[in-house]
Amino acid sequence: MIPTIESIVDKTQAVYSLPLFYDRLNEKINHPRSSLADIGRVISEDQGLTVRLLKLANSPLFGYHSKIDSITRALTLIGTQQLRDLALAVSVMGSFSGIPNELIDMKSFWKHNIACGILSRSIATFRREVNQERFFVAGMLHDVGILVMCTAIPDAVRGILLERRQHGGLYYVSEQNSLGFGHGAVGNALLAKWKIPLNISEPIACHHSPASALKYPLEAATIHLADIISHTMGHSLTADWRVPPLDNAAWDLLDIPVNQLDTIIRQSETQIEETAAILSEAA
Amino acid sequence: MSMVALDNLAPGMVLAANVIDKGGRMLLGEGAELEAKHLFIFRTWGIIEADIVGVEGGGSDLLPDDVSQEELDQARESLLPLYRHTDIEHPVISELLRLAVLRKVRHVSQ
Repeated sequence: MIPTIESIVDKTQAVYSLPLFYDRLNEKINHPRSSLADIGRVISEDQGLTVRLLKLANSPLFGYHSKIDSITRALTLIGTQQLRDLALAVSVMGSFSGIPNELIDMKSFWKHNIACGILSRSIATFRREVNQERFFVAGMLHDVGILVMCTAIPDAVRGILLERRQHGGLYYVSEQNSLGFGHGAVGNALLAKWKIPLNISEPIACHHSPASALKYPLEAATIHLADIISHTMGHSLTADWRVPPLDNAAWDLLDIPVNQLDTIIRQSETQIEETAAILSEAA
Repeated sequence: MSMVALDNLAPGMVLAANVIDKGGRMLLGEGAELEAKHLFIFRTWGIIEADIVGVEGGGSDLLPDDVSQEELDQARESLLPLYRHTDIEHPVISELLRLAVLRKVRHVSQ
């Protein structure tokens, strides 16, 4: 029997859930009368999260001169929406920590995704986008669909991985051929169930087909390009992973000079290492 | 064009063109002689290369001196299979592949 996206997500939901606190955090942020201290208190309840957020806030990712030693200060300097988005990335990464290494190497998986997140953020910075953290989150979670499928339909994933290896093809094409849908759609379905905003979930859904993004084509194009760059930097799930083809329309939409690619890569490089070290520490 | 990569810039070199950061801010004008503090400022403001007077050759490919063409070809050969689903004639992919080749060569030589 061929599984459906719904059955896969339902199966995963029983195993992984987004920490309850994310809902409460959103509630606090959206409530007109809550103060920074209120929001800070919700985050501080999760000690592991607090530690990682503070480490990120003090890493080269932000490059502040003075030390950020409290969540309230981080909220002031980085911004509530941005810190919420970072908290989301850290929480989702944490909720998938139990997946066995048997099918895919989790370390490579997160390195690739973090690289994609940082590169998306660098591209957004270059393009002077507002709220760059959502680019980081979308990039960092763009492949969660693969993890969901590893949990729900491990045998199908094993088959797809094998076919990819034998024919030297593209993973998402093999997925499409054997299941009729890919990890973008699966990741999107899970995030929708978790009520993650569309500006994060749609680019994830469309990272291999940026032309199909209806509301956030620019975000989708950014993740699409960042995914390709991270593969060319050697941050792939396996050493023989094929670089996905570039969508011309997405590239044109981004309007980045070709000679900026080197700068974007250079700027991202150290941030990728630092961020990966901070985020994988506690796992 | 005779762009020299930041790492290869040295005090005493003379600028053949203004150094402008990506926001359009001019950092140092044409004709200025580089000092150590300028290099520090370039790095801080994300400048990766500068046009220098009297440097021959086109484009800065940021090549370490001890890398041979043969090593480059070898690295490129070994990476090409990963790019078989892409259009390596496309300027973006061609640039990313060029950077990947340099990265691989440097990595090996380290």
